[in-house]
Amino acid sequence: MSDDRDEARQRLKAAVHYAVGRMCQRIGEEHRRELSRQVVAAIAETTFRQCDIFAKDLEAFARHAKRSTVSSDDVKLIARRSTALSVYIHNKSEELNQEQRNLKKKNTGKRKSRDTEESRE
Amino acid sequence: MAEKDAEVGFKKETVSKLLSEFFKEDKTRLSGDATLLMTELLKIFVQEAAVRSLKQAESEDCDQVDVEHFEKILPQLLLDF
Repeated sequence: MSDDRDEARQRLKAAVHYAVGRMCQRIGEEHRRELSRQVVAAIAETTFRQCDIFAKDLEAFARHAKRSTVSSDDVKLIARRSTALSVYIHNKSEELNQEQRNLKKKNTGKRKSRDTEESRE
Repeated sequence: MAEKDAEVGFKKETVSKLLSEFFKEDKTRLSGDATLLMTELLKIFVQEAAVRSLKQAESEDCDQVDVEHFEKILPQLLLDF
């Protein structure tokens, strides 16, 4: 049964490698230099291993807050080591909250206008 | 469709599965917001790795970015994350 586990892991690694490859190609084009296949593979492998560290940290932070669901607060903690990164993640989180608030307002707006139309009939 | 490739990054389904793979407890879950933020974070991680390697190669006047350039920037990259 551990073969399924290995297969899943291999597929994940491949997915990471593919995404990393596309990003490296884009960045190489922008800077007019090519990143060798070994570099792409090395970045993909490093990213994969870094996810292990991120995941364990996220889990520990959530558990420390007596939660079993990892939240955006936990992600903000992960980004604490670099100020620029921390600011970026905080801003992204604010953006997401704003989008969700806008979405809620849109939906309640639609419902209200539908109600008034029905009452007119 | 040309607009689509403005931003190349990870798919949030991939990120979700990737992180879940490494959780120690079965009951640990990832919220939607956390997944989106981690998708951003990982994109930055890869971008930093690539751009720093590239700058290293440029500073050494190399045409191609090789593993040796990546190896030189790796320690600081890991410290920054």
